[in-house]
Amino acid sequence: MAKWGMVIDLEKCTGCQACSTACQMENNRLPGENYQDVLYYTEGKQPTPSLKWFPRPCMHCENPSCMHVCPTKATFKTEDGVVLIDWNKCIGCKYCMIACPYGVRFYTDEKPLIEPNIKEVFKAEGGMQWSPPYKGPQQDNSHGVGIQPHGVVSKCTFCYHKISKAPPETADLSNDDPALREFVPACVRTCAPTARYFGDLDNPDSQVNRLISDKHGARLLEHTGNKPQVYYLSGGVVPGFTRPDKS
Amino acid sequence: MSNSSQAINSPESISRISALRLVVGVIGLLIGLFATMGLLTTGHAAFNTSSNLVWGLPVAAYVFFVLTSTGLTFVAALAMVFGMKDFYPIAKRCIWAAVATLAIGFISLGLEIGNPLRMLWVIPTNMAVTSPMWWMGLFYLTYAVLLVWKFLLVNKGDWSSSQSKVIGIASFVAVIFAHATLGSVFGMMAMRPFWFGGMMPVYFLVTAALSGLAFIMLFINLDYGIDQKNMSAGTRHAMSKQLPTIFAIVLGLVIVFTLARTAAGLWTNVAEFKVPMQATVTSLWFHYELWVGMVLPFLMMLSARRSEAKVQVIAGALVISALFIGRYEYVIGGQLVPMFKGAWFDDLIVYTPSMTEIGVVVLAVSLGILLYAFGDKKLNLSDAPTSD
Repeated sequence: MAKWGMVIDLEKCTGCQACSTACQMENNRLPGENYQDVLYYTEGKQPTPSLKWFPRPCMHCENPSCMHVCPTKATFKTEDGVVLIDWNKCIGCKYCMIACPYGVRFYTDEKPLIEPNIKEVFKAEGGMQWSPPYKGPQQDNSHGVGIQPHGVVSKCTFCYHKISKAPPETADLSNDDPALREFVPACVRTCAPTARYFGDLDNPDSQVNRLISDKHGARLLEHTGNKPQVYYLSGGVVPGFTRPDKS
Repeated sequence: MSNSSQAINSPESISRISALRLVVGVIGLLIGLFATMGLLTTGHAAFNTSSNLVWGLPVAAYVFFVLTSTGLTFVAALAMVFGMKDFYPIAKRCIWAAVATLAIGFISLGLEIGNPLRMLWVIPTNMAVTSPMWWMGLFYLTYAVLLVWKFLLVNKGDWSSSQSKVIGIASFVAVIFAHATLGSVFGMMAMRPFWFGGMMPVYFLVTAALSGLAFIMLFINLDYGIDQKNMSAGTRHAMSKQLPTIFAIVLGLVIVFTLARTAAGLWTNVAEFKVPMQATVTSLWFHYELWVGMVLPFLMMLSARRSEAKVQVIAGALVISALFIGRYEYVIGGQLVPMFKGAWFDDLIVYTPSMTEIGVVVLAVSLGILLYAFGDKKLNLSDAPTSD
């Protein structure tokens, strides 16, 4: 089975947020609850400030702390390495949100970031939180795909509804192969500078592994021991994402 | 057979306070129900929690209530497990109060969780043994069953049969595991340095003991009309001789814990620990908690007047308020630093409980008061064994 992973090349990423938008469209997310987010960090002062940014999907860790703390095993890791939430089992205790070092999970029952609450405008049938008029066809509550029901946690699924249909033994899901385009995750599909790559980390010949080894792919927050499956290429130095001290 | 204590002197002070208690309980219940109505209409949008700060006032209140239940069981165990006979007169009150605070703790939590009813089947069937929260649930359920069982036995007058003794010891052991595991729910979170610590279970257990003792100091004195002459000789002895000493020792320990943790946070390089701790100590609540809520009662317990009912009521009330503030600071403090949000949230998360969240706590507290009042009136909480 594959072990799906992602590589994001920070030297190519322009911070355009097309990936965030594509994810938002694919998964019908609202502002403030976007699975894929581009984070910006500013440091320093004029005349030498620096602006850093990087896209942050769910890391789908090898050793996910979110999965370890879930009291109902609603958060689980599939055989192909994707961390998902079973909405039929989730009790909404939010312990996984506490335990995720990367802040990728969302509990959308709370106040919306932008008023008016559009979920009230497009009210749901069938126990979902809302019914967006442009909703995609995918809905799989046992894998956390689609519109979430009330009282559960949701997060990036690596577009599981797409990648799970990819032919077996596929090394990489990229836009280069027309036959595989329909299986490529939305954020990877959309990226204009081709800063994102998606492939099988267990396959030593895959492009993702080649990039990680040739361009010194690094993972974020290594000290937590979660072992993300999302690697960043930054020319050998992971940008220091420490919050500047405000005195 | 049981020996019920009778009011020796004026029962007016007792009935005045119990009437006040009923009024406070009923008014609080109505206010709490009214304030929590938002939950029925808008659901959890009525809370001020967000995807960044997920555990708010209701969770801090839950921690406080089960902490108190744990401590009350500790005090009851002084008699029932460790054989300190002078505490038998207050043991039944402790057990009933432990039941009441456990119940309201879970009410508070149940109103906070997304799908609480689902817990009933999904937790036993999935055996998530890697989760500290799963173990906490298991141990608290065990404790709840054993505690209620023990109360039913004691209510029938059965204090010393082997079954009663075993259940008493078992409930004491269960609550130690339960509350220690609750400490681990927070203490095992290595990604949140403000909470992390292998010794968090110990900290939780010591603060639990303090909470139980403070509740006893406050409520037993209130139950007897803030007049020790209304108590039986045994109760008076426990309340005036041993309790202030034990209370002072545990309070001293908690003061040391608090100062140590605060110092560790203020002078660390780890920003996630330091910044929330700095925010904590610059708040007036913290200084009230430390100086008025803990140091002042400690000094009161060192003074010659520590056996007086009025002094104990004030000390108990101050410590209870300090502990509630402390639990709130701990739970919220660990979530103030945004987890990996960059410029979207470039400062500490700002959180104030909404009216609905405050309503949940008011509702829970009022239910606790009314449950305890019910026990006081109908379940003869002054029962104690006559001889051992």
